[in-house]
Parts: sequence; structure tokens; C-alpha cells
Amino acid sequence: MEDNVLKVRGLRKSFGDRDATVPVLADLSFELHSAGSLALMGRSGSGKSTLLNILCGLEQPDAGELTLFGQDHRQIDWQQLRRERIGVVFQEANLMPALSLLDNVRLRASLAGQPESRCQHWLDVLDIGALAQRFPDQVSGGQRQRAALAMVFAMSPSLILADEPTGSLDRVTADDVADSLFRLQAETGCGLILATHDPELASRCEKILDLAHQAADQNTGQSGL
Amino acid sequence: MTAFSALLSHYRRHPWQGIALALLMLMATALWTGIYHLTSQARASLSQSERVVEARYQVQRVDGAALSVEDFVTLRRQGLCLMPWLEVLPEGESRRVIGVDPLAALCFQGQADVVSFDGQPLRGDPFMDIADAAALPARQAQLFLIVDPDTGELSADYRITDFSLAPDTGQLGDSFLLNLDALSVLVLLITGLLLRSVYLLSLSQRRDSFALLHRFGVSPRRVRGHLVAELVGLAALTLMPGILLGQLLANALAGGFASVMEGLFDSRQFVTSGNSWLMPALVMVTLLLLVCAVDWLIPEKLRKAFAVANRSGGLSLLLLVAGGAGVWLAANLLFLFGSVALMLAGAGLLMPWCLSVLSSRLAQASKQPFRRWWWAEFGVLCRRLALPLVALQLSLAMVLAVQALVTTFEATFDHWLGQRLSADYYLEVPTDADGQVAVDWLEQNLPESSGAIWHRVLRGQGQLDVSGHEQSVDIFAVAPVGALVSDWRLIESAGQPWQRLAAGQGVMVNEQLAYRHELAAGDSVQLTLAGQSLRLPVLGVYPDYGRPAGEILLAADQLPDDFSVSFESFSISPGEVDIEVITEALSALWQEPALTLRDNRSIRDLANRVFEQTFMLTRAMTMLTLVLAAVALLLMGWVFLSTRLWYFRLLAVWGTARTGIFLSLLTLALTVSVSAAALALPVGIGLTWVLVQRINPLAFGWSLPLDLYPGFWLELLGLALLIGLCIGLLMRRQLGRPAVRPSVTGTITGGER
Ligand SMILES: Nc1ncnc2c1ncn2[C@@H]1O[C@H](COP(=O)(O)OP(=O)(O)O)[C@@H](O)[C@H]1O
Ligand SMILES: [Mg+2]
Repeated sequence: MEDNVLKVRGLRKSFGDRDATVPVLADLSFELHSAGSLALMGRSGSGKSTLLNILCGLEQPDAGELTLFGQDHRQIDWQQLRRERIGVVFQEANLMPALSLLDNVRLRASLAGQPESRCQHWLDVLDIGALAQRFPDQVSGGQRQRAALAMVFAMSPSLILADEPTGSLDRVTADDVADSLFRLQAETGCGLILATHDPELASRCEKILDLAHQAADQNTGQSGL
Repeated sequence: MTAFSALLSHYRRHPWQGIALALLMLMATALWTGIYHLTSQARASLSQSERVVEARYQVQRVDGAALSVEDFVTLRRQGLCLMPWLEVLPEGESRRVIGVDPLAALCFQGQADVVSFDGQPLRGDPFMDIADAAALPARQAQLFLIVDPDTGELSADYRITDFSLAPDTGQLGDSFLLNLDALSVLVLLITGLLLRSVYLLSLSQRRDSFALLHRFGVSPRRVRGHLVAELVGLAALTLMPGILLGQLLANALAGGFASVMEGLFDSRQFVTSGNSWLMPALVMVTLLLLVCAVDWLIPEKLRKAFAVANRSGGLSLLLLVAGGAGVWLAANLLFLFGSVALMLAGAGLLMPWCLSVLSSRLAQASKQPFRRWWWAEFGVLCRRLALPLVALQLSLAMVLAVQALVTTFEATFDHWLGQRLSADYYLEVPTDADGQVAVDWLEQNLPESSGAIWHRVLRGQGQLDVSGHEQSVDIFAVAPVGALVSDWRLIESAGQPWQRLAAGQGVMVNEQLAYRHELAAGDSVQLTLAGQSLRLPVLGVYPDYGRPAGEILLAADQLPDDFSVSFESFSISPGEVDIEVITEALSALWQEPALTLRDNRSIRDLANRVFEQTFMLTRAMTMLTLVLAAVALLLMGWVFLSTRLWYFRLLAVWGTARTGIFLSLLTLALTVSVSAAALALPVGIGLTWVLVQRINPLAFGWSLPLDLYPGFWLELLGLALLIGLCIGLLMRRQLGRPAVRPSVTGTITGGER
């Protein structure tokens, strides 16, 4: 396995047209070794989601170097990478509403080319095995986030990008979900980048990257995919 | 910002939805208003004029000539109380006005209504001063003299008869109008479904805003009140333009409509006062309020019970079967329409159920997770779009049925006309001329070798004795019975009908007569011709789409010598002989310089024109409804899929290619719209059967063969594909934009399953 999963040098990103550009990420550099974990901190609008989007190829950087699994970002087949190696978890709505929890996990696993036979196992591991046949609207928010984690681990990822995965949960549930995430990350040995504005959660990661000093606005608008 | 403007801001963010909703209202209002105008005017036309002439008598000349002003003067001098009644069909108009003389009417004792003309000023709707009416450039004008028979004796040149505006065949015209009414009810139903689906959509899209308002202390009642106010406001904006548009539509179709009513059903159409806008406005506002208020009008318990009853499709099947049985057994039109409504309700309920069952079965059967997701998503789509889908299904079925009816009728009618007018020329025998002279000449001068064929037709009246009571029927006596009639299509017949007819061994009856008196080939009829009684078997029943009256066809030598012939003609295909040779010879024999000779092709063209006008209205109406439903599905499909955009983009996050996502979106949209079309097919075929085999016989006395036109099915399928394709392409544009993540407050918008 490559020693460095991720290497970022001088990354820049801004939004808007030529007249009014809003710099979001300016000259950002960091790296992540395999099985390492990194917390992205910063208040709302500081560019956490934007950075995660760039790291999974949903957004292109304006400038800078990005090397993922030893490959330059311009040469990466992002689709294949997202399908098989990078798992993404959002704050909410990670599940297809018309499918049961188990079918959601199966869908994610099959897209990643992983066997479906292990799907129930992942739900069991995340303590929601009994809810496998329920639909997302029939379980609690915490259980939905657990199912989202089951989906991610079922694809046996090399890197997990989690965008405020516990952001809409209460303290106790959030801690439970975070526990599961860190435990399984350690067991499977994949990398983790976690965006959060919660210092306590951030402190559980090996490293913290604070984007707060970056250009930030008060815009709390929902971020796009 | 008030709660109300907060709600309205929804349309500021989604202007297209507001515009579409307004357009939907506008089109539906226009459509319904158009139909309502035509039928209500046709009805008002008669009843309004009829009130004035109730139980009145008129004077006619014994010699049958038209009345003139001289007759009026003569009779007036004899001391009779008379009122002139001049019906004028002005140049370029489709409906008549009535010229009256209020002064002359003063002599009618105690009948003030004649003087005031139902309290209406003489403005030409339809009554106007006779002098003005006479001055109008007229296409047609006829003078009637209404008389009070107790005021004097008539000279021998005149006789008194009933004066009535309603034709003998009045109920046929009524049936026609009733058919249009039924169609407009169906249009209203479809419109209601569409409005309801738009209302529900805007409701579900704004659930978050409602939750917010609720948290700000606005009661749910007030929110609903605002919603209704919003819809009523929308109605206020769109109703008047819609009604105006409908009146334009009605005016555009009025000419054809009036000529159909006059030409086909002998129902004279008079100008009526004013265009009513009140009724359409009331109907549309009521519909709108019903659409919004269904939730409060029907108690929650009842709706739950209903849902439970239909869980296994039982209720819809029950409705379908009950409706079907009703259609089978119906003895009158209203009952029949009620049963059809039941049938359609059943079909409309069954379709979402079918799709729901289908999608969950197929989802369960799919081993492949992606395919399972696709079918599950299909199920959601069908459930969310159930109302516009049913609306599309019903309008497709309606269009299918009407199209099949019209096309079948067109083909049958054309075929029938071809048989009826199979001779090249039609020659009228002048009133005083002797037809037998012509027969002798034709027999001598048109040998069979010349390829010429002809026959003579004598028309008159006879009395048919049906189970004890006499009914007057039209008599058609033909001689010789030959090639011009012998290949008429017969609805039913005994063996060798034409040979036996020629030999005087029986008669043929038209379909209307057979239907009304349940006559079949082989039955006997008791016929009285010029006082002479005959008992003859029915050899065959022939279709007759032109005339509603009962008709009997027999060989001319069956007629008694003193049978009074009202009209006589020859049908001639001259073969190698020049028609002018024939007309010149006959004109010399009859000493009549100008014979009336008609080229049958032109008659055929005329008949076809009348026919087309009859169905233009029906066609226009069904097509517009279909467009309405199609646009609605397109819109709702697009809007609903937009709320689900996040989940489609989730697939992209999971590494699915953009084209793959687009393809699944496209196939989803296509499958949904095509399912509606596929499920419309059986309903459409059922409706076609009801139209040609049940409604038409009940309403008009004739039936049609049940012909289906798969070519047209393909066209409708094409339309369904087009709708799906448009939805898919609209979504493709959306896919390129950032998707808004469904919010967590309350129920997740777009997160339905
Ligand atoms: N697609 C976009 N177009 C324009 N501006 C964007 C877009 N996505 C994000 N932004 C802006 O970039 C900034 C950073 O957003 P985001 O990465 O979502 O911050 P965070 O996740 O830290 O809250 C915000 O000001 C946001 O408005
Ligand atoms: Mg964010």
C-alpha cells in the first residue's frame, strides 16, 4: 500500500465569475498517510465541503497539486475511484428513500464490486441488523447515519470523506455514531477525512486542519454536491 | 412579510409552476365554457322561442305553397286575428332571428305574453320588428302566420294546423346535446384531477414553509385559508380570460354546430340573448374549491376505510364490474352515462394500484440491486404522479374512443353514402309529370348492352301498425330492384333478400325503425298503404345514418294504384350514353324545360362536410383535453423529479457515470408515461365499445361495427413517449446544476418512498 494516501500542495479554489470571485480555498497544503485521520475545522462557509468535493473529484481545483493514491489528480479516473475506493458520508440523506436499509447497503456494495453477502454483516456490526428491512423514513436519524456508515464500509474503501456526519444528531447519538466510525476505521485501516465544526469530534482525529483563517463568509447556505 | 406573502413567495421562486397552474386553469375554463355555450345556446334557442308560441295554431295554404304578405292581408280582411312570424336566417349567420309585429298581435285576447314577447325588447335575440327582419339580407326566410282560430272562419284555400318549433325528431337533437354534456362532464373530471394534483404538489413542496409558519404561531387553519385564498386569487386572474377564450372557441365552432343541429336533427337554431359567463365561472370556482376541500369534506376515517378497501384492488374492480353491468343493462342514456362514470372511476383507481403492485413485484424479483432501486423509484414516481397519470390515462382513453368512433363512422358513413348514391345522377320528376312515361322511354332507349343502370323511386307515407298503435313511416318504393340497391350492406337479412324484395315477397326496414320496434329479419309487419292493408315479412334491415325517421323499402309494384306519391325521382348511371341525351328526351316528353338533375358526387361532398362539422367539436374537445393532460403530466413529472434530484446525484457521488444516471432517469420517465398509455388502451377499447354499441343505439337508433385502429394507438404511444422524453431532457438540464440537499425539518421533501 502507498504510504501517502493523499498529498495536497498549494491548492486554490474560488467561486463566481470574473467580476466577483469569492476565494474559498487559498494555498492549502497538507497530506494524509494511509489509515490516518484528518479533521477539517472551520465555521460554516469556510470551505470544508468544497475541499471534500475536490478530494473526490466532484469539483476541480483552480490551481495546486493534488495526488491521490500516488496519482496526479489530472490523470485520475474519478468515477472509478468514487465507485470503488472513496466512500462519502453527508450530514443527511445518504440513503435511497425507496430502498430498505439492507437494499441500500447492497446497492452501494454492488456498485463497488463488493460481494452482497457481507451487507447484513455490516448492518449487524453497526447495531442496526434488526432494522435491515426498514425503510429510511422508518428509522431514527442516528440509525440512518449508521446505515450510511454500513454502506461506506460495505464498499471496503481506502478513504472515507465524511462531511459533518453527526451534524444533525443530538450529542449522545452523535458520540455513538462517531465511536462506530472511528472503531471501524481503525479496524479496516482506511483513511478518514472528516469535516466538522465540533472541536471535540475533531480532537479524535490524528491531525486537525483549521480552515478558519481562510476566507470565510457568514453565508450558511446549503452546499451543493 | 405576512404569512400570505410568505406563501406566495413560492411562486416567485418557481415562476414556471405559477404560470403552468394559471395556464391549466385558463385552458380548462376555456374548454368547458366553449362546450357549455354551444349546448346551452342550442337548448335556450328552442325553449326561449317556444315559451312565446306555446299551444298556438298557424294557417297554411291548402295547395302547399309558401305564405306571403298577400295571404296575411286577405285573411286579416276576413276578420281573423293573425300574427306574422318571419323566420330569417341572415347572410353569414348560423342562427335565425324571428321578425314579429307586436301591433298585429294585440288582438290575441288575454295573451299579453305575445305582445311583450316574453318580456323581451325586440333586439333580435331572437325577436325583432318584422320590418327590420324583412330588410335583412337573408339566406333563408320563411313566413308563418299564427292564428287565434276562434276569431273567424277560414276560406277553403287555407287550413289551420299546430304551430310548433320543435321538430318531430326533437329527442335526437337532445341526445346529441346530452352526449356533449357527458363529454364535458368527463372533461371537468379530468380537469379536477389535474388541478388536484397541482394543488397537492404545491402543498408538498411547501411543507417546510408550513412547518416554519406553524412554529411562528400561524395556525394550520389559517395556512389552509391562505392556500384557498391563493387558489381563488389565481382563479380570479384566469377565469375571465378563460371564459372569454371559451366564448371565442364557441363562436368559432358555432357555425358548424348550428348547421349540424339544423341539418342532421332538423332543429332550428335561433339567436339567444347574451352569453352567460356566470355558469362557467361558478362551475370552475366550485371545482377548484372542491379540489382543495376534499381533504376536509371527506372525513379521515372514511378515506382510511376507502384505502383499506382498495388495498388489494377489490374496490376498483367492484366499481369496474358494477359499471360494466350497468352499461350492459342500461335502458336509458342517463343511466348509461352513470354506469360509464362508475367504470371510469374503477379504471382510474385500478391503474395506480396496478402500477404499484407491478413495481413492488418487479423490485422484489430483481436480484440486481441497481435494478431493484430502479423499480422502487418507478413505484414512487407512479404513486406521486398518480393523479396526473390517471388524468392522462382517461383522456387518452377518451381520445382513443372518440377517434375510433369518428373514424368508424366516417368509413361506414362514406361506404353507406357510396351505396345510396351509387348512381351517377339523380333526377327529380317534376310535380305534374308522369314518371311512367320516363320509365317507358328508359326501357326502350337504354338497353342493358349500353351499360346503363337506373331505377325509379316513389316516396310517400304509410302507416305501420306496431302492437296495436299506428305509426307513420316513410315509404320508399323502388323499381326495378337491381344493381343500384342489391349490394347495399345489410345489418341482417333473410335468404336472398333482394330477389324476394323484387318479387314483392317482403319489405326492408331501416335500422332506426328496427331498433325502435325490435324488428328483425323474418318478422312480419302490418302496413297500411292508401287504406289498403298488407302483411309482409321483413327481408332485411339496412343502416341509415342520415335520417332519424322510420323507413320502409319495397318494390314499386306493391303500391296500390291510389297511393299518393309525394316525391318521385330517378337514379341513373348512364353508362356509355350521354346524360344530356336522356335529360333532353325526358324534358321533351314531360314538356318541362328545366329538369332538376344532380350530380351525386356533389351531394356526397356536401354530406361529408356536414358530417365533418358534426365531429369537429367532439374531436377538438378531446384533443384539447389530451393536450391539457399531457402538459400536466410533463410538468408534474418534471417538478417531482426535480425534488428528487439529490438522490440521482447521490448516484454520481457513488461513481455512476452521468450518462448512466441520465439513462435511468429517461427510462423511468418513459416507462411511467408509456404505462399510462398502455393502461389507457383497454379503457379506450371499452369506451369505444360503449360508444358504438350502447350509447349510439340508445341515443340515435343506429349502431356501428366495433372497429379498432391500431395505427392510432401507435400515435398515442408516440405522444406518451414524447412526454417521457421531454421530462428526461428537462431533467438532464437539472442534473448539471448543484442539487439542494433535502432539509431535515419535518418530512423530507422529495424523500418519499
Ligand atoms: N457551487 C458553488 N458556487 C458558488 N459558491 C459556492 C459553491 N459552493 C460553495 N460555494 C461558496 O463557497 C463557500 C464555502 O462553502 P462550503 O464549502 O459549503 O463551506 P462549509 O462546508 O465549510 O460550510 C461558501 O461561501 C459558499 O457559499
Ligand atoms: Mg459544509
